[in-house]
Amino acid sequence: MYYKFSRFTQRLTGAASSTAHSPQGLRSNIPSESPTIVFATPTKVVSQSSHAVEYMGVNKVPDLQRIFQASDEIPVHLKRVVPDRLLYRTTMALTVGGALYCLVALYIAAQPKNK
Amino acid sequence: MAHQAHAYHMVDPSPWPLTGAVGALLMTSGLAIWFHFHSTTLLTLGLILLLLTMYQWWRDIIREGTFQGHHTPPVQKGLRYGMILFITSEVFFFLGFFWAFYHSSLAPTPELGGCWPPTGITPLDPFEVPLLNTAVLLASGVTVTWAHHSIMEGERKQAIQSLALTIILGLYFTALQAMEYYEAPFTIADGVYGSTFFVATGFHGLHVIIGSSFLAVCLLRQIQYHFTSEHHFGFEAAAWYWHFVDVVWLFLYVSIYWWGS
Repeated sequence: MYYKFSRFTQRLTGAASSTAHSPQGLRSNIPSESPTIVFATPTKVVSQSSHAVEYMGVNKVPDLQRIFQASDEIPVHLKRVVPDRLLYRTTMALTVGGALYCLVALYIAAQPKNK
Repeated sequence: MAHQAHAYHMVDPSPWPLTGAVGALLMTSGLAIWFHFHSTTLLTLGLILLLLTMYQWWRDIIREGTFQGHHTPPVQKGLRYGMILFITSEVFFFLGFFWAFYHSSLAPTPELGGCWPPTGITPLDPFEVPLLNTAVLLASGVTVTWAHHSIMEGERKQAIQSLALTIILGLYFTALQAMEYYEAPFTIADGVYGSTFFVATGFHGLHVIIGSSFLAVCLLRQIQYHFTSEHHFGFEAAAWYWHFVDVVWLFLYVSIYWWGS
């Protein structure tokens, strides 16, 4: 029997091993506790089954953690080189171009209106 | 992280503060150019730059926290202080508009007919759509709390469903309010009643949209396994913001819709 602390009730409550200890990235394909819940039509109890049954997509966080923690001195905003660089260059181009355009527009706007 | 002897986050050099500042410059100057020369180019450029900055800056924060592990407990504490202070500043922002409303409505001038609502204004019935809006936002406060507990309990499916429901309720509120705006028998130009009504509720609606967007980002992150049962500050920040939006609405409803009708 495993226990977990329920923040909601502020008490220890019984739990299966999967809920008592399930850190990010841990894949336990063998459930150590499978309660025998019998229904009229047998259903798969997702919370007790293997983590291979994922709801809405697989967990890619461990892979991303590996990519972003690579010690290659690249700053975080360019870590995924190709898409990051494209977006960065577009943004900087708009920044510099926009700033210049702004100064020109304000210069023109500041000219006295000759009637 | 391996080479520092402290738990704080020394961020990588980033271009986003600069691009954000230039975006703000372009938006403000663009507004002036639009008013005087009828051209929206500069304003649009500024808006695009602002959106690009927000996307990349917050993307980088997610990378630093979720993927690089920089958000240690002291760092998270700082982020909590930051969000609290930001929400506090927003409270003061709305306080100004409530001050304006009460200034005009507690002592209505002779020009208004010496009464509130002013002569000629037919206010909205507070027990029709505005009451529904109140129920919608209160329900969304319940669903966002449900989502939080689901995340803390490690209930992935429930967290996704309750968070999605919260966003749907937020969008429902926005749709209802938009319809009310369209159908209202008075406009922003209808004296101080119109001004206080539409500016206060309008800024509130904008904050509902911002809050819904924040929650939507949290939903995407929850689906992508970013949140753990112990560490999910992005979601908590969104939930705080959402409760703030809810409370502002309650004040708006009681003051402007109910007492002011």
